[in-house]
Amino acid sequence: MAAVWHSRFAISSEVFSGYSFFRKANSIWAMTRAELPRLSYEAIGMRIMNCKDRPWKPTTSALQVFGKHATKNLIHLQADSARIFLEGKSQEIGEDSTMNCEPGYVVVFYRGEVLGCGLYSHGKLVSQIPKDRRMPSRESEDIS
Amino acid sequence: MDFLDRYRDIVPDWEAFRAIQSQPLHSSARINTLKIEKGKLIERLNEQSVPFKCLGWYPLGLKLELESPGKLLENLLGYIHIQEELSMVPPLVLDPKPGERILDMCASPGSKTTQISAMMKNTGLVIANEPSLGRIAALRSNCERLGAMNVAITRYDGRNFPRAPFDRVLVDAPCSAEGRERRGPGVIERNNCKRSLGLQVLQIGLLKNALRLVRPGGVVVYSTCTYAPEENEMVVREALKEPAGARKADGTDEANRACENAFCRGESHFRLEKVAIPGLRQCPGIVQWNGVELGEEMCMAARYYPHINDTGGFFVAKIIKN
Repeated sequence: MAAVWHSRFAISSEVFSGYSFFRKANSIWAMTRAELPRLSYEAIGMRIMNCKDRPWKPTTSALQVFGKHATKNLIHLQADSARIFLEGKSQEIGEDSTMNCEPGYVVVFYRGEVLGCGLYSHGKLVSQIPKDRRMPSRESEDIS
Repeated sequence: MDFLDRYRDIVPDWEAFRAIQSQPLHSSARINTLKIEKGKLIERLNEQSVPFKCLGWYPLGLKLELESPGKLLENLLGYIHIQEELSMVPPLVLDPKPGERILDMCASPGSKTTQISAMMKNTGLVIANEPSLGRIAALRSNCERLGAMNVAITRYDGRNFPRAPFDRVLVDAPCSAEGRERRGPGVIERNNCKRSLGLQVLQIGLLKNALRLVRPGGVVVYSTCTYAPEENEMVVREALKEPAGARKADGTDEANRACENAFCRGESHFRLEKVAIPGLRQCPGIVQWNGVELGEEMCMAARYYPHINDTGGFFVAKIIKN
């Protein structure tokens, strides 16, 4: 699992050293290392990857925690495009922002902070922000 | 709102207490130190001219003068969490330390759970228990949005939560929620004694089990957002009668009398510790209600009334297991 994060985002496996990992069905979960009492659990730590399809998708929450260490496949957005991303929409992205991103999931930054996960392909960025964490759409400023 | 009449003798300045019920409560939020430092967050709010004030009694608490604070980007990113001001109190009284093992027995939606995680700096273990399946999603969502990495979620009836020991247990119990009237008018009108007494049975069961689950020397905090002594001091009194480690009282009159006598002689396995939050004015727990003596110790608990600090209402008791 750490290998996936390393190969896609160049995040060193050391970043994950204080955590335990669990796989349940199609997801991978990470939790601070601790002795877990033998109980029946609904959730352990944070869901960090969705393994249902290829490529595996990092979750928004996981990128907000670990994504700051990424040095590969990341995008820095400006204010307007950050807003569009946070509203959950898709947009065209100029090459200067993309810094040689390969098609696939990317870490999206704004002003040095991780906003979340985007799906990038050939100049197009599709926001992966979950519905309940999106900014409301701004009303159009054009009044006829 | 005649139901409030029953509190005339225990609430100071009852008229002001009654009057404030119809005044809406301001929004408040907690700065989530799992994701951001206070200074940086304040800078962000100032840059965007978000109207806010810091809470005098809690450095990480904010009063927000906005209509829809939930839509703030800082909330969506998990830098702040919209949380009622007084609900920030029980985790402070619990005082969890990094590396400990904590049980939050009635955790959803996770405001206090994530506050506990932040106080522990994401170390140790927080078991967030929520018996209702429909409420698990909200709990998970808040834990993830706020970056809590030391939380595991379980779904047991808290009265039968099976394993121990924990260093500290929080029982923020389901209650008649009278203290929430300012957030959602109508709660008090729907309330009555029968409802309180029904909840009391559940609350006693939860607190009794919490007292079994905590290790010797550990802390249990019992809190509600209601004023009814039936759900507050009377629950604490009843739960403290049971000897530590006993799974079930044997239910005979003799056994119950023996517990009662031991409790009155101060031979309990538990003691109440004074709850006091500097900067937040409180009233003591009541020692007598409707002719029933509740024990002098109850004055160590804290009652927070809405007209005293311009908040909602809360009750908090801190119990140490000897």
